[in-house]
Amino acid sequence: MWRSSSPKALSSLFRRVPRGLNGVARVGRRQVYILPTRSGLSFAAVLLVMLLGSLNFQNNLGLLFTFFLASVGLVAMHHTWFNLLGISIRVRGGPPVFAGGEASFDVVIGSDGQRTRFDIRVPARRVSQQSIAVPGGDQRTIRVGLPAARRGLQALDELTVETRYPLHLFRAWCYAETDATTLVYPKPAEQAPEPDRAAGDNQRCALQGRLGTDDYLGPRAYRNGDSPRQIDWKAFARERGLVVKQFGGEEGEDVWIDWSKVTAPDAEARISLLTRQLLDAGEARARFGLRLPGIEEGLGRGRAHLQRCLARLALYDHAQANDPLDRAS
Amino acid sequence: MPKRTTPSIERPERTQVLWLTLLLLAAYVPLAPHLAWQISAFVALLFAWRIAAIRWPALIPGAWGLVVLTLIGVANALSTYEGWSGQSAGAALFVSMLVLKLMELRRKEDLRLATTLIGFLAVVQFLFDQSPWLAVYLGAVAVAGLALLVDLNGGLGDTPGRAAMGIAVRVSVQAIPLTLVLFLLFPRLSAPLWHLGTDPRKGTTGISGTLEPGAISELVLNGELAFRVRFETPPPDANQLYWRGPVLWQTDGRRWSAGAEAMAAGPAGALQDASRPIRYELTLEPTDQRWLFALDRPVSVPEGAFLTPDHRLLARHPISTPRRYRMLSALRYRTALPDRAGREAGLQIPDNVTHRMRRLAEDWRSQADNDWDLVELGLRFFNREAFHYTLLAPRLGSNPADEFLFETRRGFCEHYASSFAILMRLAGIPSRVVLGYLGGEPNPVGGYHMVRQSDAHAWVEVLIEDRGWVRVDPTAAVDPSRVDNGSASRMLGSGASVRFTLEQNDAIARLARNLRLLADSLDAAWQDWVLGFSMEDQLSLLKWLRLGGAREYGLAALLLVAFSLTLSIVLLVSLRDRPRVDPLEAEYARLCRRLARVGLERRPNEGPWNYGSRVRAQRPDLAPTVDRFLRLYVPARYGRGCDPEIHRALMSLVRGFRPGVDKGARPDC
Repeated sequence: MWRSSSPKALSSLFRRVPRGLNGVARVGRRQVYILPTRSGLSFAAVLLVMLLGSLNFQNNLGLLFTFFLASVGLVAMHHTWFNLLGISIRVRGGPPVFAGGEASFDVVIGSDGQRTRFDIRVPARRVSQQSIAVPGGDQRTIRVGLPAARRGLQALDELTVETRYPLHLFRAWCYAETDATTLVYPKPAEQAPEPDRAAGDNQRCALQGRLGTDDYLGPRAYRNGDSPRQIDWKAFARERGLVVKQFGGEEGEDVWIDWSKVTAPDAEARISLLTRQLLDAGEARARFGLRLPGIEEGLGRGRAHLQRCLARLALYDHAQANDPLDRAS
Repeated sequence: MPKRTTPSIERPERTQVLWLTLLLLAAYVPLAPHLAWQISAFVALLFAWRIAAIRWPALIPGAWGLVVLTLIGVANALSTYEGWSGQSAGAALFVSMLVLKLMELRRKEDLRLATTLIGFLAVVQFLFDQSPWLAVYLGAVAVAGLALLVDLNGGLGDTPGRAAMGIAVRVSVQAIPLTLVLFLLFPRLSAPLWHLGTDPRKGTTGISGTLEPGAISELVLNGELAFRVRFETPPPDANQLYWRGPVLWQTDGRRWSAGAEAMAAGPAGALQDASRPIRYELTLEPTDQRWLFALDRPVSVPEGAFLTPDHRLLARHPISTPRRYRMLSALRYRTALPDRAGREAGLQIPDNVTHRMRRLAEDWRSQADNDWDLVELGLRFFNREAFHYTLLAPRLGSNPADEFLFETRRGFCEHYASSFAILMRLAGIPSRVVLGYLGGEPNPVGGYHMVRQSDAHAWVEVLIEDRGWVRVDPTAAVDPSRVDNGSASRMLGSGASVRFTLEQNDAIARLARNLRLLADSLDAAWQDWVLGFSMEDQLSLLKWLRLGGAREYGLAALLLVAFSLTLSIVLLVSLRDRPRVDPLEAEYARLCRRLARVGLERRPNEGPWNYGSRVRAQRPDLAPTVDRFLRLYVPARYGRGCDPEIHRALMSLVRGFRPGVDKGARPDC
């Protein structure tokens, strides 16, 4: 079916809407493609029958009516094409997601002229979820989701903007060039061994010792490897399951999450375990740092720090064993 | 094939289903009178069901239910019409199936298909009725259908209903020029490619091929149009407008029919001394008969017709659609004398002639010097005796001529023509009865004459040596004081023929008459320009454009050129997206243009304030206006935003601002 756009090899033959220096792609005349839809074909078939019938019965009124509908179809075809012409397309990457989730992109469609652009759709995986109208001189955003399979930077390699305005008889579409990316964090493992609290840093400062460990932070579900001393046995006796009492405090523990301290069959599994450890550490509000071969993210705390560490892991290239972020800077 | 799930964007909304149902109902209503009641019953049942199912969706039948309903629908249509053939049967079957589609509207795609088929339903209806009102009505239905398609497509913003209607109307208006070009220039077929079988017509009114007492007086009560005539030469007087139709030779004393001789094809006897022919164009309503009406004696023969020996115009096929033909007729003429067989056919006498009829004819024969004298004696008889001309003739028994002549003496034209012809035959003068129409109402609005069924008439032609067949109208001989105008005005209303004199002093009656004339001229224009537009008209259009030699190829080329030209104009005018200009910006640009004209051009690096101060320095006389402008413009443009009040103030400021060139040197004024 032609509704589904052609395979990638073929689609590379199509002209794409080039991006200007300001990151905005403006749809030009030679980049708009148009074909009839299935409704358009059945419309044409019905018209053909009407035409033959009216001609045969020499029924001028029937002919007039048929010609009217045919003209409407033809005018509508031009409306479809013009509806896409001249719109501006800008794409922004969405917030980071974990692999296995859905990476989102914000496609901002602008209409600079006086005309409202009706029925603009941005299909994701060939299915449009939403159809919007962009008033003249204004812009609207469509969020497109893509499955994030692998960690790293997810690019939107094919962006199609389409319309079937006004009568759904024709579909006009264009391919837009974009380099928008969304960061995909590694998929965290189901569970990971507790990182060795002291292992990372032998010169751990005494000041940072266990001063605050007696501050009760709250309960958390039991994970493999938790110390039996931390289990809330009273809660267990009340049949509330295995719950771990978390202790910490302003100063908490220092945790080093270290590539070399985790055993895993391959690098990706190792990264996945490290991700889980990072998340656990973030949840425990501990001060934590990340050590990868060739990279070290120092001790820190808070969301921003956690995101920085996750980004390190997401972009970590273990074959090269160095850090793309550092290389870039 | 894996089962596909419908994405939510493709699932129809309830209002859309309702809209489609109502549209289909609206498109079906005008068709209902043309179909049998069983079809309407089935359709009505399904409509009710569908509307109920909008409220209670559980009522939608499943796949098996649909199969059963389809079988019922097919069986209903087939049993009602006893088969597939005929337009009504086809239309009935199509409508039944289309309405069934309402039960299966899972995806928007289904609604789109059903909406498209409403267009087909409209075209089907035009096979039954081609009135302009129906066309306008179905046109409105079609635009509403387009609006539904727009709405189904979605993406219309906050007010989808209004937006959809607006878009549908806009697209329709833009399609009109293209429609006209296609209609004017698209090649037509001159003969049908196939026949679906024709329906037996339900009682087309009009003159039939026979004459019985009461036949015409019944017809006269019908005010329907028979044909329209547009005279190209000055029209003759109303009492000269005898439109000839069938000629009847044979009678059994009660009923007149054509007779075998008359049908024998042969060359028509040429008219002699036919002078001052009358040129006109006649548009005949469908009659399902073969005769074409023509003013008294046709001189020319239109295409697809021929002339019989007794000067009837016969078409080769029955007239089932309005037929337009141009004619040339003579009012003063002499026909050739018939041969022996023709003379004998005009003298055939029925068996039930009574003794007193014979005596009356013999009486006239003995008084008259020649045949024409005898004819005049007969006419005088009708004038002198107490014969009444009335629509309310008493019923006559087995021998109507005798009863009418000697007892009732009240009758309509068929009584007069029939008995007069028999009397002439008894007196030895060959005669025949002619059916047709007399007169016609001039329509000053449309510039043509309307001839109605109420103008139907019967008269007599007698054979006179040296003159050939001569028209004699015994009805006209009746004394005017014995014409029963009362019954005519009561029964015919304002549509009475010229034979009755009706009072129309009433202002309301006159107004009604004028409105009727106007409506008829609109109808005539519709008939001429839309329904009757044919290949000949296209070719004459080509000739007018001096492309007549190219014929069909010229038409096709002209179609292509005109179509692309029209399309480009429509697109240029309506589809270009104009750049959006801020209204304030536009006023500022105008101010700058005005100042540039007096040599104070704004430099690219100047903002409004800088520019203003330079103007102030160079031309202190312009400073007040420019200052006032800038004090309004700058805050509105860069500050709190535009407000229509400010825009209006700026507009009036700029409009009144006509800076003159300094030091009196004015280039132009």
